[in-house]
Amino acid sequence: MQKIEAVIQPSKLDAVKDALVELGVLGITIFEVRGHGRQKGHTEFYRGREYAVDLLPKIKLELVVADDMAEKAIQAIISAARTGRIGDGKIFVSKIDEAIRIRNDERGEIAV
Amino acid sequence: MLAIRQDFEADSDGLAAIASRSTLVDELVVRLWTAEVAADAALAKGVVLAAIGGYGRSQLFPHSDIDLLFCAEKGEAEYAKGAIRRVTQALWDCGMRVSPMTRKLSECERFQAENAEFGLSLFDRRMLIGDVALFAKLDEKIRGKLMVKDAKTIRMEIASLTRERHAKYGDTLFHLEPNVKDGPGGMRDANICGWLQMLQAGSSSAVGETEEFDEAVAFLAATRCFLHYRHERDDNALDWRAQDAAAEQAVGLGAERRKVGGVDPAYWMRVYFRRGRIVERCMLRQFEAHGLVLAPVELRRVKLAGNQGFRLKDGALMLDPAEGTDPAAEPEIVLGLFAAMAKTGARLGGESELRIAAAIPQLSANLEEGPGLWRRLSEILTGERAGTALRAMHTLGLLELILPEFHGIDALVIRDAYHRYTVDEHTFVLVDTLHGLAVDPGPNAPEWREKLGSMLRELQSPGLLYLAALLHDTGKGRASDDHAAESARMAKSVLARLEMDAYDAALVLRLIEMHLEMSNALRRDIFDADTVRTFASKVQTHEALRMLTLFTYADIDAVHPDALTPWKAENLWRLSMNASNQLDRNVDEERVHTSGRDERIVRFLAMLPGREAEAQRFLEGFPERYLKTRSPEAIRQHFELTTRFEKEPFQIVFQHGAEVSEITLVTQDRPRLFAGMAAALAAWGMNVVTAAGYANEAGVVVDTFRFTDRFRTLELNESERERFVESVRDLVAGRASVEKMLSGRKRSKRRAPRVLVETRIDFDETASSHSTLLQVVAQDVPGLLRAISVTLSAAGHNVEVALVDTEGETAIDVFYLTHDGLRLNEEQEIELHAALLEAIKENAQ
Repeated sequence: MQKIEAVIQPSKLDAVKDALVELGVLGITIFEVRGHGRQKGHTEFYRGREYAVDLLPKIKLELVVADDMAEKAIQAIISAARTGRIGDGKIFVSKIDEAIRIRNDERGEIAV
Repeated sequence: MLAIRQDFEADSDGLAAIASRSTLVDELVVRLWTAEVAADAALAKGVVLAAIGGYGRSQLFPHSDIDLLFCAEKGEAEYAKGAIRRVTQALWDCGMRVSPMTRKLSECERFQAENAEFGLSLFDRRMLIGDVALFAKLDEKIRGKLMVKDAKTIRMEIASLTRERHAKYGDTLFHLEPNVKDGPGGMRDANICGWLQMLQAGSSSAVGETEEFDEAVAFLAATRCFLHYRHERDDNALDWRAQDAAAEQAVGLGAERRKVGGVDPAYWMRVYFRRGRIVERCMLRQFEAHGLVLAPVELRRVKLAGNQGFRLKDGALMLDPAEGTDPAAEPEIVLGLFAAMAKTGARLGGESELRIAAAIPQLSANLEEGPGLWRRLSEILTGERAGTALRAMHTLGLLELILPEFHGIDALVIRDAYHRYTVDEHTFVLVDTLHGLAVDPGPNAPEWREKLGSMLRELQSPGLLYLAALLHDTGKGRASDDHAAESARMAKSVLARLEMDAYDAALVLRLIEMHLEMSNALRRDIFDADTVRTFASKVQTHEALRMLTLFTYADIDAVHPDALTPWKAENLWRLSMNASNQLDRNVDEERVHTSGRDERIVRFLAMLPGREAEAQRFLEGFPERYLKTRSPEAIRQHFELTTRFEKEPFQIVFQHGAEVSEITLVTQDRPRLFAGMAAALAAWGMNVVTAAGYANEAGVVVDTFRFTDRFRTLELNESERERFVESVRDLVAGRASVEKMLSGRKRSKRRAPRVLVETRIDFDETASSHSTLLQVVAQDVPGLLRAISVTLSAAGHNVEVALVDTEGETAIDVFYLTHDGLRLNEEQEIELHAALLEAIKENAQ
């Protein structure tokens, strides 16, 4: 099993979600986050005052999928979230040792 | 039990069903205890079995616990222990969820706050079987001691438990999935009415409430019965599926209605909410009669004028007694009372509530619409506790009397995955949320919270925002795919009845029409230039943007307590900031071309049949903003003025307003016009709040200034208004000297500013292909606009477009400038920068 963490533009959430659902991914956890990568922040002026926009709003998705599903899920996220501009986000992938469904103690891929 | 259920399913009579179940359980208990006494005659004395709580009231819902009291004389309880255990066991074996309580007589004579539920359950006691004399003693102890000596503690405990219970439901009955037992307006509230009445009367049974109360209780009883049977347990949540099923079976609607068949779920829920509202009101009246307050609020210390037909006493607003004409039938007095309620947060006295409810037909006959009504409504809407006043008005039917458009959303359930409240309650929560923004958030508040708070406090006409808020969802009451457009259509007739001035009315309508635009934009990339530009082009003005930002914040927050995360709120503020920066950047570029089929152009041309070509020439080349921010009627008026140039080349329209007045100059373009108007207004001591100067391709100029009258010259002297218009005309036309008039004006003492604004002057060469954008941000002081525009004229620059705005103590003036038809060069910009700094400094001194 692999955990996929994707940080994407908030405006791409619906498209990414739809793509993953279509692929058969059943569980996604979504976080509203702020941060920056290479995009970094910038400064805005408003009514004569300066405001720093150093942390930009992003959406972070977390999903755990079976190994054979991981690459498809990654590709689905990339296709749906890519605009080609700085700020599109990042995907991090890591291995998961175990998954347990609390309700019935099912373990392994069947639990995700 | 099966027969009871079948009867209920046949007649939907909840009260009969719960009474039948009580009777059945009575028979069982009596039979079981009789058998025990037959086996041991000693049990016949010193022990009595009593039904208490809901069972005591003979209101045993299908899956409710059976509260059974075994009351024993001292020493007898131990002796009867075995028999009590056997009876209880037998009841459990019969499938009854019995809650047995064995108490000595002495344990029933005082109220224990830590076991308040037991103490309250004793109010509803009913002898089943056993020692009659002992029950008489128990009855006497409860009536003579518990309910008398502990009355004060009981009252306080009832209030405290009710507060806690209501708080669990957000203190509102109007949930999309309400709880029929514990929610506000539910069965528990009905029980409280009974208990408080018993305390008042010292009686062992509740005195009947009104007929409508009895009907409401019967409806709630039927609904709760239905839910118990449906869920097969003591689950009182009226979820969506249960609502559908209840509507289909017309639960609680009476035999006649049921014959016709099922009803629409939305209709059935309205009936539910209306019944719940009756119960809640009865309970509040009982609270008041006992000197209890359900939601203690710290009254705002506001001095109320005397002799208004009502008074504030002990935290409640009460109408004066009726002497001749009842004040309850006088709209001015009643609306004044609700305005006082909105200002102070005081509740409405129960007796006054009943009088107003009874006087609704007279109020309807006496109500006069127009500016007077808008003044009162605005007072109510802008009071810090407006939500309290509006809810009370709505409950009494007064809000619908003023705004019949509100009727369609009364207790309206719109099912979606997000909303928690009915549409009307959502509207009131929205109003509450807006007012909450005005409260100082403290030193550690995030930047967006602080900014939104000051945005609200600095609104020039906050009443318009609140009116838009009140009407924004009225369209949901009608079948329409676009409720925002429908709400705006309905609002038009409200605004016409209130005879609101054209500018204000247009702003309210635009806010309603586009009230979802900002939420929609938030779903896109809020830092993307196209997203921001598109959004800004819909909003058009800073005033509308400020109001829409505040509105969107409150609208999201009123959907659900968790809907507005700090993440979303900050994004909202960022989008507002980006849009604000974008707003004035494209005005000079985006011009009207009448060859296009814009809906607004079509509407304008439709007003001038046979003169379309002439009207098209008038519109051609004006900035789009002119078309988007002016009503077709206002544009038609400007067009008509151009036909009178031969008679008078300087056409002026003036509209006096209670807070902000507006003057518009329509003339042929010539140098120093905008500066002339600014100077004329300064000479009269007027403070410009917003201004816009536009010109069309044919060189017709429409300069509009909205201003406050600092010295109330035009308000106190109505005859001065005509002189003012003539004077402005003469000053602009150069027929009188501005300098002479200014020198004759005594300069008023300026108050120290609360917020210091540093002057900032910026030029932008990218905003327009043929002009230079100048933005001046400075401390808003009288004469500032005059100082800036005169400086521009003196330098020989032509103002192509002017957009003047004020945000609290900050003036933000944007000008699109040309010099001899070209953009300003670097040298001209440097010179102008220095000259403006000097002029602004001089004006501030």
